[in-house]
Amino acid sequence: MTPALQVGLALFCLGLATVLLRGRLLAMLLGLELMIAGVTVILTYQAGIFGDPGGLAAVVLVIAVAAAEAVVGLCLILRLHHGGRSGESGSLAELRE
Amino acid sequence: MREMAFYLAGAGAVFFSALMLFQPGLYAAAACLLAALLQAAVLLYLAGSPLVSFLQVVICSGGVMALVVVAVMSTGRDDDRAGGPAKRVGEEVVEGRQTEDHAMWAVFAASRPVAAGTVLLLGVEVLLACLAGGSPGVVGGTGSLDSRLGAVLFGPYAVATEAVALLLFLAALALVSGPERGAK
Repeated sequence: MTPALQVGLALFCLGLATVLLRGRLLAMLLGLELMIAGVTVILTYQAGIFGDPGGLAAVVLVIAVAAAEAVVGLCLILRLHHGGRSGESGSLAELRE
Repeated sequence: MREMAFYLAGAGAVFFSALMLFQPGLYAAAACLLAALLQAAVLLYLAGSPLVSFLQVVICSGGVMALVVVAVMSTGRDDDRAGGPAKRVGEEVVEGRQTEDHAMWAVFAASRPVAAGTVLLLGVEVLLACLAGGSPGVVGGTGSLDSRLGAVLFGPYAVATEAVALLLFLAALALVSGPERGAK
């Protein structure tokens, strides 16, 4: 396994651990960003290895989707906060109360 | 020389990511994530794609982190009641144990050393990359692909590009519509 794959995999696993182990929604969002960074590193390295610009196109699209996901996630968190609800994921057991 | 910078950036990214996991406060966690994303941007640059590295710095390390900090300021709580990995959401936690765990994980909470370490590490990596000279495109790579990226994005991937552009537009609409309006 190449060093770039190891780093990408480590970033993904640490991000996954953050999502699974942290309670606050904002902290979980940070973990998601880390997972996306790991995927980006692996995709870019593989695109360089195979000389495929399609891999880089996928990376650009993934970064754009990550930005959109962060914006929507933060909007939802702020909406929950303004609605007087907790930012803990455990308190969001129902879609509608 | 360039390989050394690559290994240094990889080690830094993993270190700051692991540090982020143990931060009880959201500001410190965001600082660690920022450091990890900057190290990942160095990795992308050294892997042969300066354009993607630039996008990573501008979008992820810049825009998204600014949004996260604004969200933390808006919610008004920096401390993480869930503490470190020892506690899970939904578990009944005794108050005394919570304080004890919080103090234990607070040992790792250090925003200023993280910022100083990030700047130092970035300086060393840039210095190594400059000493190596040449164009980026490194460590097993076949050189820069950035010049062919535009043709691919608006060629075979045109539909996906348009879909992502629409997604970004909808996300901007969600941001403009405002969280307060939905709460009311």
